[in-house]
Amino acid sequence: MSQPSALSTNGLSRRKFMAGTVSAAATAPLLASTARAEAPIATQPKLRQPVVTSLRINKQAYELSLDTRTSLLDALRDHIGLTGTKKGCDHGQCGACTVLVDGKRVLSCLSFAVMNDGKEVTTIEGLASADGRLHPMQQAFIDHDAFQCGYCTPGQIMSAIGCVNEGHAESENDIREYMSGNICRCAAYPNIVAAVLQARGETRGA
Amino acid sequence: MDVAAPRPKENQGEPLPRVDARLKVTGQAHYPADLPTANLAHGALATSSIARGKVAKLRLDDARAVPGLLDIVTYGDMDKVDKPKFGNSSATSIGPLHDRTIFHDGQIIALAVAETFEAAEEAARLIRAEYEEDKPTASFDSPGTKTVAAAGKSPMFKEDVKAGDFDAAFAAAAVKIDQRYSTPTQHHNPIELFSTTAYWQGDQLVVHEPSQNVTGWKVELARQLKMDPANVRIVSPFIGGAFGSKGPMTPRTAIVAVAAKRLGRPVRCVTSRMQAFGTQTYRAETRHRIRIGARKDGRITAFAHEGWEVTSRPDLYVVGGTSATGRMYGYGSVLTHVSLVQADRNTPGYMRSPPETPYVYALENAMDEMAVALGMDPVEFRRINEPKTEPIGKKPFSSRSLIQCYDQAAAAFGWAKRDPKVGAMRDGDWLVGMGCATAIYPTAVAPCAARVRLTVDGDVRLQCGSHEIGTGIRTVAGQMASERLGVAIDKISVEMGDSSLPPAPVSGGSISTASVCSAVLKACDAIRTKLYAAATAEGGPLAGSHNEEFDLADGKIVAKSGASAKVEDVLKAMQVGAIEEYAEFAPKGATPEALKKLYAGTPEFHGGDQDEDSVKYAFGAEFVEVRINRYTREIRVPRIVGAFAAGRIMNTRTARSQLMGGMIWGIGQALHEATEVDRRYARYVNRDLQDYLVPVNADIKDLQVILVPEVDHAVNPAGVKGLGELGNVGTAAAVASAVYHATGKRIRDLPIRVEQLLV
Repeated sequence: MSQPSALSTNGLSRRKFMAGTVSAAATAPLLASTARAEAPIATQPKLRQPVVTSLRINKQAYELSLDTRTSLLDALRDHIGLTGTKKGCDHGQCGACTVLVDGKRVLSCLSFAVMNDGKEVTTIEGLASADGRLHPMQQAFIDHDAFQCGYCTPGQIMSAIGCVNEGHAESENDIREYMSGNICRCAAYPNIVAAVLQARGETRGA
Repeated sequence: MDVAAPRPKENQGEPLPRVDARLKVTGQAHYPADLPTANLAHGALATSSIARGKVAKLRLDDARAVPGLLDIVTYGDMDKVDKPKFGNSSATSIGPLHDRTIFHDGQIIALAVAETFEAAEEAARLIRAEYEEDKPTASFDSPGTKTVAAAGKSPMFKEDVKAGDFDAAFAAAAVKIDQRYSTPTQHHNPIELFSTTAYWQGDQLVVHEPSQNVTGWKVELARQLKMDPANVRIVSPFIGGAFGSKGPMTPRTAIVAVAAKRLGRPVRCVTSRMQAFGTQTYRAETRHRIRIGARKDGRITAFAHEGWEVTSRPDLYVVGGTSATGRMYGYGSVLTHVSLVQADRNTPGYMRSPPETPYVYALENAMDEMAVALGMDPVEFRRINEPKTEPIGKKPFSSRSLIQCYDQAAAAFGWAKRDPKVGAMRDGDWLVGMGCATAIYPTAVAPCAARVRLTVDGDVRLQCGSHEIGTGIRTVAGQMASERLGVAIDKISVEMGDSSLPPAPVSGGSISTASVCSAVLKACDAIRTKLYAAATAEGGPLAGSHNEEFDLADGKIVAKSGASAKVEDVLKAMQVGAIEEYAEFAPKGATPEALKKLYAGTPEFHGGDQDEDSVKYAFGAEFVEVRINRYTREIRVPRIVGAFAAGRIMNTRTARSQLMGGMIWGIGQALHEATEVDRRYARYVNRDLQDYLVPVNADIKDLQVILVPEVDHAVNPAGVKGLGELGNVGTAAAVASAVYHATGKRIRDLPIRVEQLLV
């Protein structure tokens, strides 16, 4: 079994990011899952006070008042209504929630929305041109039937664009390795590789 | 032509791109939890941390203190609602909030509802339970299991098939094996999380939930809530992978519906990945004993298959794959027996090729062992035992192209280059092994309804309450209408995934394409008949033509004589703007109640081993190459070839994709997938996608699917055999066969892992 590639989470590696939140939780339980600690969050109202966050998503500005615990993924889906980005595990293990932050692929379930203040976020809804012309990667996914149920697809496409721009789509083996953080349970993998191969040239220029 | 869109051969349809492809690559395909809902409240489940006992006390104070908490639904709150009834539409008979008994780890003990997802999660985690705990029984070999025979005990299991005198034949056999095999617990883990969104509009309940069975759920949910089914609507326009997991409804649905009613506003509950392991169904672990006896020339004279499956305490779920394994080859005699082993576990449910995945794995691994014992090529061994009729009821196969599949797959794979000697093939530090196995899946079909409307503008609207789980059913249903009505696919809109549409059967058992396409065919043919009658009527554009053969193409009726008329003109002559037909398809052999049962959400299945005239199965052959590192024993599958014959192929693109996905599932079954059960606590350990291993992109390299042409008019009017579940049958045995060829080690317990090859 291959390990999923280490995607960056706003500059931190996933491993460091996870380790960081766990140790931080010992003193300041930010995550709901750490609420078993001695003092429940219910007695610490300050942590729940909403924070005004400015996000730029698909070149549009949003000003949101968010619970500090809200992930970028939930902000997109529940607060902005951009449901194209999918929740598959909420633990950074499946890749379905992949978006681009300042051009780099990020697992939006592992990134608090407030951490993205002022950053440029691109989601699957932001790829096609205003005239409806698809991004070359989207078209390639159609051409090669690179999905079945389609649920992991937005994450696959965002990850594929990130993969190409990182320079990790130079060979089929590279694509397989660097796309392995995005699980496709329908298992369209060979078709996903074919799609990335088709679109990589145009994506580099896009 | 692109490899994803194979050129159609005889009886195979065009590889049209999926009609919903654009929605899926732009994020506009709305899965149930994506559907916009105003004034939404969020729910989060609290689940039990013991597997057996009682909830003595629930402490809710901390949870209630969470700002934004709206409600907690728990014991007592479901008393006016009926418990689930175990069956095809309901995963279990356990009503988790109906009484305080805990039947399994991870059982729902409460639902916290709050203004935000974060607050709901926080509150759910602050719900504290005090238990009266009993020592649970985890699985096979745990103290306290109860073993019962499936036959006669479970209504889901027909019989232990048998033929001839196995004992005598086995005793007399010149060559024989007697071996045991096992398969692990597995969870479907579709990437879409399980979710329920419920809201009320007066007396009407609307539920958005990923479902493979909207009609069955509507009826069962209405029964639980003591409502008229007409007032319940299940909406599931896109489903993010199912594989059986979204076939039966779980108790969560009614709980969320009750929460929405109490609050008077919409409630959404998205189950966490971890909670899904205990609140949804799964593939239970199985054990098998197989005995095969043969003559020295390779003819099998005796076959016995005994299977054991784990199930829950309250529900006798069974897969019982002996019906297929007992009919696979021309055995002289057959003896089978299926037993259920009850433990303190959640109720299992169907998962992609439910009976065949474990049972055919055991049979095919045993067949490979038998070929070795006979000193015979494994393909030749199967060829020798190819039957003329199936051995149980001596019925013919409606079609059986297994040998063609073996021949084509073997040629594409390069089987002839295999050195049969164990361990003989090497590439540097890699031991190379090659193996093969048979795939089989019963071809069933069920009643189905569809509504088709053809308008004067040449648009077609097709409605059917089936489900797009990724199979491409919208596309192939549209293709059938396109072909029969002579309308381009982009003029056809296909609506599915809503219980307010004409009812379709559960999207399981690989029946959907056959059932839905047969209904669409019937509706389209009724439209064709009306059009032709109007066209040839007095004063009609084709007046004078009688009972001629005709076709519809490019918006025209074209008679065999060459005369043609525009469909638009025929409709104008009829003075109508559209023709709409509602068709109810019932398969051959359907009972008089068949259609009533379709509307009641309990459709009858026909085909497979059920019919009088013949047995109906799809077949395939899979070949794999494994490479095992001589030092680390790392196992890779760099190459896999599968050839499959499944009657008419509606669309070679979607068919290939489904079979490919199945083959990769098979590789996962062979090497990756297993839910580990902590035997002390009867608890699943690896409850996430980091530790529950599934194949990822880097695990798959060279994969080839061959669609072997086959014509079978006996299976159903569409001539279609299902293939969604065929691809992952047999794969694990092919891998085991290749591992043996590479190493000389026969692995009988799945998954095959490095540690088994180190000793």
